[in-house]
Amino acid sequence: MFDRDDGALDRVIRQLRQPVSIDPALDARVMEEIAADAAPGRLATPRPRFPLRGARWPWLAAAAVLGAILIARPWSAGGDTDALNAFQFVLVAPQASSVSLVGDFNDWDPARSPMQTAQGIWATTVPLPPGRYRYAFLVNGVEWRADPGAPRAGDDEFGTPSSVITVGGKGS
Amino acid sequence: MMITALLLIVQVAAQDPRLERLDPATRSLVVSVVDSAKAVGLPGEPLIQRALEGATKGALGPRIVTAVRRLATDLGTARAALGAGVTTPELEAGAAALRAGAGPDVLTHLRDARRPPLTMALAVLADLVASGVPADSASAVVLALAPSARDADLVEFRRAVERDISLGAPPGAAAAVRAANTGIRLGADAGNPPRPASRQ
Repeated sequence: MFDRDDGALDRVIRQLRQPVSIDPALDARVMEEIAADAAPGRLATPRPRFPLRGARWPWLAAAAVLGAILIARPWSAGGDTDALNAFQFVLVAPQASSVSLVGDFNDWDPARSPMQTAQGIWATTVPLPPGRYRYAFLVNGVEWRADPGAPRAGDDEFGTPSSVITVGGKGS
Repeated sequence: MMITALLLIVQVAAQDPRLERLDPATRSLVVSVVDSAKAVGLPGEPLIQRALEGATKGALGPRIVTAVRRLATDLGTARAALGAGVTTPELEAGAAALRAGAGPDVLTHLRDARRPPLTMALAVLADLVASGVPADSASAVVLALAPSARDADLVEFRRAVERDISLGAPPGAAAAVRAANTGIRLGADAGNPPRPASRQ
């Protein structure tokens, strides 16, 4: 790459470490200039004028309504179809003491999506963007189960079952 | 020496920290596959997820590397069949369809027959085969539905077939009967996909 010249490097470092002298009157001079520019009659930018003097509020009201319409965008009632949609995953496992949902959407990390139970019905909700995801349930930290209500992943390459969920995108 | 050490540090820092769940030897091989895939424009995230799946499921390193390599190959084949403008979800679904047994030509026909995104059509094809429907029958029915069916129609078709199978119907027959109900005939030439409509 290049040969390092430690002597030159040390000299540069010493130069950079030299204290910088600043004129103590600098702040005062800057403030004087600002005050002079801000004096009446010396504003560089003229104040904007409304086309109809005295009719300022109707214009402001119209702008507010237009802004509200643009924000609400009622013509796109379906929203962005590529946005996240929430999906609920459910497993009936009355004997289980813990169930985690793991898959492509949470880096296969059992700690990320622990499921909550109500009388043996374990459930959790996960937001998913469009795509195809493999996932499985980890029961009691040791037992892998596929989702009985979803298609099975065709290639269980690691010897345990997985399921797949496909989230459609635009044009679905 | 210092430069080599520096490069090693930079390389380690550039690796995805999620892959630290793999043992060093496996991680090195997986990173190599991911980097190679990225170099040719393939997405790295599906490969990382496959490696993480293997790690979480306690698979041995060689098995993880084999799975990641196989997926990289399938993603490349899917991209060649679907074209360069394909999205990552479409590529993943295409790879799943290939792994299920669909031929690359089916993916190309599907691309020509249906407006994008193709994710759901490809996924339904893979899911039908995974549920036991012969690959050629599944390909034929998805290609026949592709030009006009919405994603929701395809999903409903898949559910109906799976329901019939769960009730005891042979998978091939279930797909044929459900296809017939939509006006599609699956005969002896099911492996020959119908001529696709022109791309709109």
